[in-house]
Amino acid sequence: MDSEEFRRKNQEERFRFIDLWSKYVLEHDDKNWSKQQNIIINSCLRSANMTKEQYLFMKEKNRR
Amino acid sequence: MEFLDNKIVVKRELSDLDIFTIDFIRLLRKHSKYVIVSGYVSILLGRSRSSEDVDIIIPKMESIIFQKFLSELSAAGFYCLNAETTIYDYLNNGFAVRFARVNNVIPNIELKFAKNQFDEISLSKNIVVALNQDELVISNLELQIVFKEKVLCSEKDIEDARHIRNIAKAHLNSDMIKKYEVMLHGL
Repeated sequence: MDSEEFRRKNQEERFRFIDLWSKYVLEHDDKNWSKQQNIIINSCLRSANMTKEQYLFMKEKNRR
Repeated sequence: MEFLDNKIVVKRELSDLDIFTIDFIRLLRKHSKYVIVSGYVSILLGRSRSSEDVDIIIPKMESIIFQKFLSELSAAGFYCLNAETTIYDYLNNGFAVRFARVNNVIPNIELKFAKNQFDEISLSKNIVVALNQDELVISNLELQIVFKEKVLCSEKDIEDARHIRNIAKAHLNSDMIKKYEVMLHGL
């Protein structure tokens, strides 16, 4: 599989998950899906360990 | 999640990002109109990802009012990451300023003055999200979708737009989407 094919298949897989998850959100109580979503959000925020300078440098680099 | 006329009701378990945003908005709304745009809109509607910042647009504000807002932010334990001495000038020159809680960098609010017609549309054509006992004002979803699909265009933005389309499909105005696609073409 070449890199373009891999990228296309990976994107398809990601879209499939987004469709599956949004269906789950619509079909379940807010408390149910948000509890699962919070595992991702809270763990990302709590494990973040950057200085102000590192963070601003990263944002500036991404903007260019 | 319930879609009403110009209002979305979400009775969710709050994340650290929600609590941080609500705390900031409680101070901001005393002084200004505002609208939340971009990634946090899709997260609020259930997208399975995190974000380290929340983008907020406000109308241009008089310096004296802004200084009062800054004092309240400071008293509540927020600080500015990127423009410590000249925050108002920084905003006035078209830049965004970032606020986090003292001793933290993430999460942060990226705040900017409205500077083009799309920022103005976001401010005027907004939706209220009733989030448990609080309310947050977000940009209309049609503009968010088109902006992400046609202007920002990163993988993350395309996926955010897809999620919003899926969640709100029964409530989206397709004529409005087409109109924004024309307006944003080539931006």
